[in-house]
Amino acid sequence: MQDKTTALKLNDVIGLRRKKQFVQLGFVSLLIGLVLWSIQATIIDDTDWERIGTLSEIGESVSHFVGIDFELIPSLLGPTIETFMIACIGTLIGLLMCIPVIWFGALNVTPFKPVTYPLARVAMTLSRSIHEIVWALIFVSAVGLGAFAGILAIAARSLGFIAKMSAEAIENIDPKPVEAIRAMGGNNLQVMIYAILPQVLPVILGIVIFEWEINIRRSSVLGLVGAGGLGLVFFRQMNTFNYPGVTTVILAILALILIGEVVSHYARKAMI
Amino acid sequence: MSEKSATPRMKTDNIHRQWSRFKYPNSLINYCILFSILLFFTFSVHYLNIPLERILGMFGRLGDVLANRYYPPDIDYIIDKGYLAAVIETVQMAYLGALFGLLFAIILGWFAAHNVSPSKTFIYPVARLIAMGCRSVHEMIWAILFVTILGFGLLPGVLALTMFSIGFAGKLFAEEIESIDMGEVEAIRAMGGTHLQVFIFGVIPQVRVAFTGIAIYTWDVAFRAATVVGFVGAGGMGWYLKRNIMQIETERTAAILLSIIVLVVISEFISAWARTKVSNAK
Repeated sequence: MQDKTTALKLNDVIGLRRKKQFVQLGFVSLLIGLVLWSIQATIIDDTDWERIGTLSEIGESVSHFVGIDFELIPSLLGPTIETFMIACIGTLIGLLMCIPVIWFGALNVTPFKPVTYPLARVAMTLSRSIHEIVWALIFVSAVGLGAFAGILAIAARSLGFIAKMSAEAIENIDPKPVEAIRAMGGNNLQVMIYAILPQVLPVILGIVIFEWEINIRRSSVLGLVGAGGLGLVFFRQMNTFNYPGVTTVILAILALILIGEVVSHYARKAMI
Repeated sequence: MSEKSATPRMKTDNIHRQWSRFKYPNSLINYCILFSILLFFTFSVHYLNIPLERILGMFGRLGDVLANRYYPPDIDYIIDKGYLAAVIETVQMAYLGALFGLLFAIILGWFAAHNVSPSKTFIYPVARLIAMGCRSVHEMIWAILFVTILGFGLLPGVLALTMFSIGFAGKLFAEEIESIDMGEVEAIRAMGGTHLQVFIFGVIPQVRVAFTGIAIYTWDVAFRAATVVGFVGAGGMGWYLKRNIMQIETERTAAILLSIIVLVVISEFISAWARTKVSNAK
């Protein structure tokens, strides 16, 4: 009797393992098939290999980029500051705009759950899923060319991330201070100011600084669609085929991002 | 001796100290920092000529523009065969770019993780530098550079997404490896394992699940980037976007933007579903 059950179990185990192996094999071969199909379509069929030429020709085109255009450096200062400012103001406006979204999107403070909560979640998803270039295109057509469109694009793009992380922080707070303020007869606004805000403010500031660092990177390309900053200079250098100038602009972007990373590192350290 | 005498004095100090909301040096520094940040914002608003009073009116204008020019989106245009082929190309581009990027990022993450990097003096800083460089340069700039070097087509798009994914996933991988349990690594080191063996038998089994999650997320982000790299000629849907914007075909542009949003939201749902599935299978 016992032998029979163990034998059955053994068979079951072997069968399960076979099934699992089969599924894994199918999954892996599906992945490999997808890779081969994609390589076939993108790299073999679609590429103009004659245009690319031999390796030495590629090396030659890369070598055009080597070098720094020193004459360009003085005229880079203005756009660099502009890019930096676009990132700063964009983050600030994004933070201001996401206050209602955070309020609606945190499950424990949302005023009317069946309507406001999904509304906030949709806003977060939309903001995060649209690329900053697309946002910039939308705002350029609404408010015209210039830094203002870039700022709004940055704000719209960073809204989702800040709101999502902050709403999660609010959902994870310690409920006791909230109860204490409620027990003292505090209304919703007082609960928000004295019980919730002190708990989440450091977290939100950390998130904002993190997003600000990313926004510097984003604002460096917004000029491609006419929203000002270093991207515009980059595009102009590219269109005039001044390849050392392109390298110079990229180095300026890297320097700006490095500064942003250092500042954000120390600011986050100082807050904790 | 000094400790003993110090303790009672501190106690009396604490008793006699008046409670105050503002502690003199710290609060002054904090308010100075806050003030200078505010000053900087005011100055930059002035410098950039931002019409702040237009922000509130902007929403109305945006609504007007969307309603008058972009409103009926040209749905026929996006269910056209050529456009759908471009969508599939975009998916393939994102898939390949993320895959190549991830393959490099695993090695880069290994080299750039402080605790298991083969050489802390040389390989570690170089790997960190490469990861930072890849991450700092925006994917659009990578796309422009590769288009200049290799010409139009999907290959520069794939390469741009590869560079983007290396930077994106490399940093996450390195952070994940830095937070592993060092016991297993030390066990394999004590057995005389080489760096490669330490990585394969000590590190990979611990980070496998987290890596899979990061890989799925990277694919999702790469797809988001792939929808626009075509804007500079790197293939996919971005090229359609650029063309229609140039021709001021606003209704077609609206349809394309709509299709991008829908596709990205779908890919985000798939990625979220796959990530929960992976973390449950742990």
